[in-house]
Amino acid sequence: MSFLFRYSVADTPFSVPSNVTTDELCDLINGLLKADGSDGDGRVAFDFLIGGTFLHSRLEEHMRQNDISTETVVEIEYVERSPTPEPEDSLLHDDWVSAVRAQGTCILTGCYDNTLKLWSTSGELLLTMPGHLGPVKCVTWVDSGDALPVRTFLSGSHDETVLLWQWNQDTNAVECVHACRGHAGSVDCLAVNPEHTRFCSGSWDTMLKIWSAVINSDEDGQLEEHSEKPAKRKKMDGGTKIPTRVPTMTLSGHKEGISSAQWVGTNEVYTASWDHTIKMWDIEQATEKSCIAGTKVFFDIAYSPLNRMLVAASADRHVRLYDPRTSDGAVVKCTFTSHTGWVSAVAWSPVDEHQFISGSYDSVLKQWDTRSPKAPLFDLTGHDDRILAVDWSIPQMVLSGGTDNHLKVFRVSNPAPKTKAAGRRR
Amino acid sequence: MKRQCCVPMPNKKVEQPSDKTELFVDAPPDGSEGSDSDSTDSEESVYSGLEEEEDTSNASEEESDNEEAAVEDSDEDSVPPAEEAKPTRQGKAKGGKSKVKKPSKQSQPSGSLENTAGDTHAASTSQSGADEYEYDSSDEEDIRNTVGNIPMEWYREFEHIGYDLLGKKIIKPEQGDELDEFVNRMDNPDYWRTVRDRLTNQKVVLSDKDVQLIQRFRRGKTVDPSTDPYAPWVDTFTSEVMIHPVTNRPEHKRSFIPSLWEKQEVGRIVHAMKMGWIKPKPPTEDEEDDEPKFYNLWENENESEINKRFNQHIPAPKMRLPGHAESYNPPPEYLFTEEEELAWKAKEPEERKINFIPKKFSSFRLITAYPRFCNERFERCLDLYLCPRQRKMRMNVDPEDLIPKLPKPKDLQPFPSTQALVYRGHAGMVRCISVSPDGQWLVSGSDDSTLKFWEVATARCLKTLHVGGVVKDIAWNPNVTLSLVAAIVDCDLLVLNAGLGDKLIVSNTDNILSSHTPTEENSDAGNKLPVHWHTADGKKWKEGHRVKVTHPKALSQVTWHGKGDYLAVVMPQADSMSVLIHQLSRQRTQNPFRKPKGLVQRVLFHPLRPFLFVATQRYVRVYNLLKQELVKKLQTNCKWVSSMAVHPGGDNVIIGSYDCRLGWFDLDLSTKPYQVLRHHKKAIRQVCYHKTYPLFASASDDGTVIVCHGRVYNDLLQNPLIVPVKVLRGHTMTSDLGVLDCKFHPTQPWVFSSGSDHTIRLFT
Repeated sequence: MSFLFRYSVADTPFSVPSNVTTDELCDLINGLLKADGSDGDGRVAFDFLIGGTFLHSRLEEHMRQNDISTETVVEIEYVERSPTPEPEDSLLHDDWVSAVRAQGTCILTGCYDNTLKLWSTSGELLLTMPGHLGPVKCVTWVDSGDALPVRTFLSGSHDETVLLWQWNQDTNAVECVHACRGHAGSVDCLAVNPEHTRFCSGSWDTMLKIWSAVINSDEDGQLEEHSEKPAKRKKMDGGTKIPTRVPTMTLSGHKEGISSAQWVGTNEVYTASWDHTIKMWDIEQATEKSCIAGTKVFFDIAYSPLNRMLVAASADRHVRLYDPRTSDGAVVKCTFTSHTGWVSAVAWSPVDEHQFISGSYDSVLKQWDTRSPKAPLFDLTGHDDRILAVDWSIPQMVLSGGTDNHLKVFRVSNPAPKTKAAGRRR
Repeated sequence: MKRQCCVPMPNKKVEQPSDKTELFVDAPPDGSEGSDSDSTDSEESVYSGLEEEEDTSNASEEESDNEEAAVEDSDEDSVPPAEEAKPTRQGKAKGGKSKVKKPSKQSQPSGSLENTAGDTHAASTSQSGADEYEYDSSDEEDIRNTVGNIPMEWYREFEHIGYDLLGKKIIKPEQGDELDEFVNRMDNPDYWRTVRDRLTNQKVVLSDKDVQLIQRFRRGKTVDPSTDPYAPWVDTFTSEVMIHPVTNRPEHKRSFIPSLWEKQEVGRIVHAMKMGWIKPKPPTEDEEDDEPKFYNLWENENESEINKRFNQHIPAPKMRLPGHAESYNPPPEYLFTEEEELAWKAKEPEERKINFIPKKFSSFRLITAYPRFCNERFERCLDLYLCPRQRKMRMNVDPEDLIPKLPKPKDLQPFPSTQALVYRGHAGMVRCISVSPDGQWLVSGSDDSTLKFWEVATARCLKTLHVGGVVKDIAWNPNVTLSLVAAIVDCDLLVLNAGLGDKLIVSNTDNILSSHTPTEENSDAGNKLPVHWHTADGKKWKEGHRVKVTHPKALSQVTWHGKGDYLAVVMPQADSMSVLIHQLSRQRTQNPFRKPKGLVQRVLFHPLRPFLFVATQRYVRVYNLLKQELVKKLQTNCKWVSSMAVHPGGDNVIIGSYDCRLGWFDLDLSTKPYQVLRHHKKAIRQVCYHKTYPLFASASDDGTVIVCHGRVYNDLLQNPLIVPVKVLRGHTMTSDLGVLDCKFHPTQPWVFSSGSDHTIRLFT
């Protein structure tokens, strides 16, 4: 057995015994690093990839399982092992946490007690925002980040409205700027376009609606005048006037409720629905571009701009990986099976093209690597009940909210710069 | 020929035999020293001459065989009879040649008297003692008659029979007529040994020696009585290898050297084969032809009646051979212990494994008489007598083949298979559930006097309503534009606004309900039914209560019509009002049946046509509501119907019963169940169809929900395909009740079940 190992300094083929384990390979590389004297920071843990799949067992078994010839020189790629996420915090809510989205230093959560909660990343409750008349199903940030003094975000609820909020960071004052009405079912998902000018909402009424996300008081005034039921709205808003906004576009095509939407690029929206399909919409032309048919109800999809892939959570134990670019969209590229209950939510890592998390009704959050479909990288336990929402918007933070009224925060110390450790070595 | 040879011989010897040889016309002189070749020759002649008188010729043969001993006889014999015979046989004497037959008394004298040529021989005959077989006379020509070896019948027409040596005709001797023949036969003691000479047509009397010879010949003995067939064998050329070989020369060197010639020959053949001049003979049919061909003798055997019986012979039943247990001294393990003996005695005689008790005797003479001997003999006779003498045609059918081929459940996906969610929150057993028509909400009624509204996807309880009584049944309005729920609480029918989903629908529903309120009183009064409609107000309204219909007796079931305006309730105790139909929009009540036939269990509206299914304990009746007549009566074949469901197509009905049966009815096919499934171990509580998928489910007290694939074809000729696909377990049993209700999700292949363990479960 020959084993070629090229390092930036030492370019030597190595011969290793066939029953070598990952730990031994790890030692070998650490030894080489030491010898080079390039790194003095002690032992580094590595994971090893052969032909794009992780080496979990002994080398021999792995090669046998994957039908790799033992006669040739085997290239073993190594990456620095992603460190174990540490449970950092647990934020207690009054009711089920159904939506969570973090940005910058803030965490926004939607709750079944009709409120939104704003937390700082350090675990401090900044605000509780009542406003909805039904359980909040989805939240999302509209603006780009911390730098702005006034942050805007959206929340969709069972009460069929989407509320557009403005939060002044300095004064910690929040204001509901717009109530977006038009859906005839609970609003289950929201997605903002990359330019932060528009957003779309999917609802149980099978409609996908596109709205303007721009806060413009003039327009609002107009709309308010046009709104037909001021009395009722007043009642709903608890006496305060909230300007109503109507959708700019309504796209119909799904046969059942839309459960998840992802805004991709400038003009593309991906939606997943209970009718077992994922549809891609062209917003510019207001048409359906293509459709991926699944076999189960889709609860959530996540799109990664890094690898342009979709992961989908559906009403079974599997997480499926789709490539939306393939013409026949029905092909499932990979299936990740480890959960024991419905998978309710998925989220890609914002920095690593291979990693994503999935939350399930079996109350376990799992961190996956696309190259390791057999087993997840980590099982993040902590929830006592079903997980309803997950988020990985901040690279160092994995968030998950569930029916145990808790928002769990896991700290992920991201691997060191990719150029060094994760670079491809032979 | 022998005779011929005799003639020219001047020897006495010659003469003597020549006489005898005359007889050898018929018989070869094998027995004597005559060589084999002689005998063969003589045989020919024998055949030629024997054609007319076989018997006599045989006799003559015998005579001719005689040897020395016979010679003496012949001398004596020859003289007297010869004289007698003389006159009758001139011809013979003439052709009798020189030699007169020694044995024949008649011929001898004739020869001596008449035969000129044979005078000398006549004397020689008398000499006697001479061996007639002493030399070979076979080559000699017969001089008595010169015609040669020809068929003598050629002379039948003539009065002569040939020519003698001088060329004179030999005149046929006079033949006596039948009378003479008869007299001769009666008087002549030698008649039996008298033969006629073929060539001369003379009568010849065989001597004793000849007769003896013939007799020996016929018995297959050696003709010569003096021959000892058992003489000691002289081994002239011994088979044993002699010590001293004839030649002891060592083998020549040449014999060890391979033959050059052979080598050249082989080389030539090999070369020819290499060059392709010699080709291997292609295997032809000759080989097959070589095989012997047989005529199938038994080809048609089977057809015959006898063979049929023979082949189908049924042997009588054989008696079992005695084993160790029957022994008078069986091994101890065969002897009964006391318990075994008791058990043996307790059993019926037919059930016993062996029909006697094994006994041990220390010695053979102590064995007592077997008391059941006669019985056993009798039974054996019965066996033989009653043995079935008929061959039973046994059908070799694999039982597997009889089971209809059903598709594998795997191929019938999707169907619910695993438990996905548990809806917890009720404090009593959940009697009934219903799913909203869009599939987002679930409502459940429980023994804890509450109604709960759930979000299907998350198992979130959104609303709880206290209704002040056990909720017996609940039904969500199937009309998507209404958000109404009908619930049965004791004697009351509650119609509630769910208040979930689209706000617009919720408010529209309220509008519809309130708009028709005024008409209520009129209709109620007109009908004079003890049913009262109440419209909720105040706090109740806020909670969602809209209409309450009070009935005189306890209700058991409520069901909506597909349009969502009418609803039917079942009041089992109210005799003439056991089924009532309410119209919600006009708040009116109808009583369709004056007198129901039996205790009504369930009612259901036909999904498409104005039919009403009414299930009593044993029958399901289908009524046409427009024409007000009975359309069909289904016989359920079960004791107590518990539940009923109608296929969304309307042509199929399933029935669940308390005696664990689930019956599928095809209304077009028959009024009897098309298929009855008995998969549940306890009473079936609820059955339901899926709206879109070909699925139905049954919930039972044994804690399981069984999901079956039930595909209905548009083609009327094709029967529904029913395959049980999954048993769903999850509910725990409490107080002997298991699953109380099950409902399918309207759009997904999911099934909800509610149980006595206070939970609702979703299986996907």
